[in-house]
Amino acid sequence: MVNQNTDDELVRAHGVAALAMVFVSVLFGIVASVEMWRPDLSGGVEALTWGRLRYDHTQGILFGWLGNAFFAFLYRAIPLLTGRPVVSRRLGQWLFGIWNFAVVLPGWVLVLAGFSQPLEWAEFPVVVDVFVVLALVIAIVQFLPPFFAAGAEDLYVSSWYVIGALVFTALAYPMGNFVPEFLPGARGAAFSGLWIHDAVGLYVTPLALSAIYFVIPATTGRPVYSHFLSMLGFWLLFFVYPLNGTHHYVFSVIPMDAQKGAILASTLLGVDVVIVVTNLMLSLRGTGWFPRDLPLRFAGTSTVLYLVVSLQGSLQAQMEVNREVHFSDWVVGHSHLAMLGFATFAAIAGLTHVWRKIPGARYNPRAVEWAYWLLLAGVLLMFIDLTAAGVVEARLWGSGAPWMDSVRAVRGFWIFRSAMGLPVAAGFAALLAGMTTGERLAR
Amino acid sequence: MSVLLLGVWPGRVLEDETRRMSPAHPLALTAGERRGRVIYSRDGCAYCHTQQIRFLDSDTARFGKPVEAWETQFDYPHLWGTRRIGPDLAREGSLHSEDWQFSHLYAPRAIVPDSVMPAFSGLFDGAPDRPRQEARDLIAYIASLGRARDLVEPVVLNEKYPALDAVSDTGRGLIVYAQNCAGCHGSHGGGDGPGAAGLSPRPANLGAHEYSIGRVSFALWNGVHGTAMPGWRSLPKADLSAVAGLVRGFHAGSGDAAPFDRELGKRVYSDHCAQCHGETGAGDGSAGSEIRVAPTSFVAQRPSLEVSLRALRNGVPGTPMAPWNTKLSDAELTSVAYFVRGFYQP
Repeated sequence: MVNQNTDDELVRAHGVAALAMVFVSVLFGIVASVEMWRPDLSGGVEALTWGRLRYDHTQGILFGWLGNAFFAFLYRAIPLLTGRPVVSRRLGQWLFGIWNFAVVLPGWVLVLAGFSQPLEWAEFPVVVDVFVVLALVIAIVQFLPPFFAAGAEDLYVSSWYVIGALVFTALAYPMGNFVPEFLPGARGAAFSGLWIHDAVGLYVTPLALSAIYFVIPATTGRPVYSHFLSMLGFWLLFFVYPLNGTHHYVFSVIPMDAQKGAILASTLLGVDVVIVVTNLMLSLRGTGWFPRDLPLRFAGTSTVLYLVVSLQGSLQAQMEVNREVHFSDWVVGHSHLAMLGFATFAAIAGLTHVWRKIPGARYNPRAVEWAYWLLLAGVLLMFIDLTAAGVVEARLWGSGAPWMDSVRAVRGFWIFRSAMGLPVAAGFAALLAGMTTGERLAR
Repeated sequence: MSVLLLGVWPGRVLEDETRRMSPAHPLALTAGERRGRVIYSRDGCAYCHTQQIRFLDSDTARFGKPVEAWETQFDYPHLWGTRRIGPDLAREGSLHSEDWQFSHLYAPRAIVPDSVMPAFSGLFDGAPDRPRQEARDLIAYIASLGRARDLVEPVVLNEKYPALDAVSDTGRGLIVYAQNCAGCHGSHGGGDGPGAAGLSPRPANLGAHEYSIGRVSFALWNGVHGTAMPGWRSLPKADLSAVAGLVRGFHAGSGDAAPFDRELGKRVYSDHCAQCHGETGAGDGSAGSEIRVAPTSFVAQRPSLEVSLRALRNGVPGTPMAPWNTKLSDAELTSVAYFVRGFYQP
């Protein structure tokens, strides 16, 4: 299935960058997690303190790992979806250069040097944000024209998600990154809350779903179960996800009607995810997806994790649950299940699927299988551990016990969480081996 | 649509609310506090410490009044946070003294033994009492947290304290003491814990004083004004009782046998000490009410002779107690050191 239109050099470049950056991001995460039970590890060096490492951890995952992996996927997927090449190879080189050398690398360095903004999923400093917006505009110019040339009535659902993700992210990103610098306190927080959800809901989720929707029919040779459910899921997602953000500030001074609206939207989100996942699972049914093919297995697992993490999200947005678990490790577990579970598994599905189509690339299924099990074990155990830690914290906070009791009580959970960073790191190492060793694919 | 519904419209409501509830001339941050805020932001303080007390009993009972929109009108960008590893800091400004803050920033575990906060010793010149400008700015910012609200609705502290049990549970007392007190007061109460070095005045040497149960209870409940000793109301009463019992037990008996010139001691006391420490030794002298650190009540605590003499000769750094060795003779110093020990009522 060699397509003249694909640009394999750019797939390779983004694929390699994704893997290189996921190691750095995981390392930031592991060191930060160890500092929670060995706080003197930073040795008084400000650049190595927990806060800065945490900023770099999440921004690295968001941009360095997921961004690069999704771009690699798009360079192969869009020509296949539209029958047309992406706009320009030169533009692609610019996008690659800006994304990695004007966003992620300088972002990391600047954060460690003390230049950042204290806004979640927006920690890179404003000067880097400018380049993110520039890169997102380039991505739109690069990836969207083929869709419009192909004509909207023929678009497959993956295409809808790609268009939605790129357009909405380019609109939402400045809102989350710039507005709180100009609107004070609670008013800025209202926008900040929107972006916290949009980073996941409008950038990561649609691109992950586009990869899942792509990989399933491409490897099984069967069309998706229902075009109607695909469209329903898509439109509900883009209608409902942006209305979720305020659920990060329940019981705050933000007007109660906005909080309640966001909680209602969070509940509808659960309904939407059930629709999407039903469609995907019915597409997978009877295909023997688990043993059949590794990228397909990643896609199927990602679908299941998507359901779990979204229903959990709908649950914890409810006031009765939120008042207990908000601020606790429960939420950290939730975000790992989303980013390291659902999104990472979808990104690997897309990445490995296109990787093994590159003439001359190496592909080692045994190593990829190892990656699957190591990552799955790591993320699930970490999720369970953090969720349990969150419940312990919530109970102690609610009991009126001295604050430090909650810190002492979860120390063991934190040590275990750090330990689970090792299978995760090993899983990504296996993925690297899966894409750099093994038989060279025919040119 | 999301922007309008959940961003712009709430923004209008909050702006309105701010206009309605804010004092006419709200206090903004000083230049130094603003610089401190930048440090607070860049080091991710907001990712462990929220500044958002929710409108929930569990939050307000622990941290104080819920955060209103007008209090955040100078926060560019906001620092609400979504994770609490350490306590919320929206009302931190009035909770701890500056020397406590510096010592804690320099080496958190010296003050709070089980803390997991990073040490920011890089902001100091090698000692907690030698903060560089950045540390000063950061602590100035932290001292500002909750100030605007305090000015509008001052916190009225009920100075009453619960009567603590005199019955001591030494096992529990040791645990609570190690977790909360030993950082400053030292593992044996000598006032020589790892956190003591940067504090002024130094933490009390608990072994060198006898304390009445009322004195210990008051200090545990309210803290000691003008010193780094915070109040410990958040601890369960049984734990406070256990600590009180332990603290009173640190004192290892006294040798009061030596004869002294009582008349001389009494005269020196009423000439030089009573203005602050009071005629009856209760720390309630007329001049005492004006000073930052309340004068010792010798009725509620009895210093050892050694501590008493040292305070008389050298003064007590960090308090208005001045050295008397140049003004009084050795005989006068010794007599009054003995004399003040006579006020104590256990």
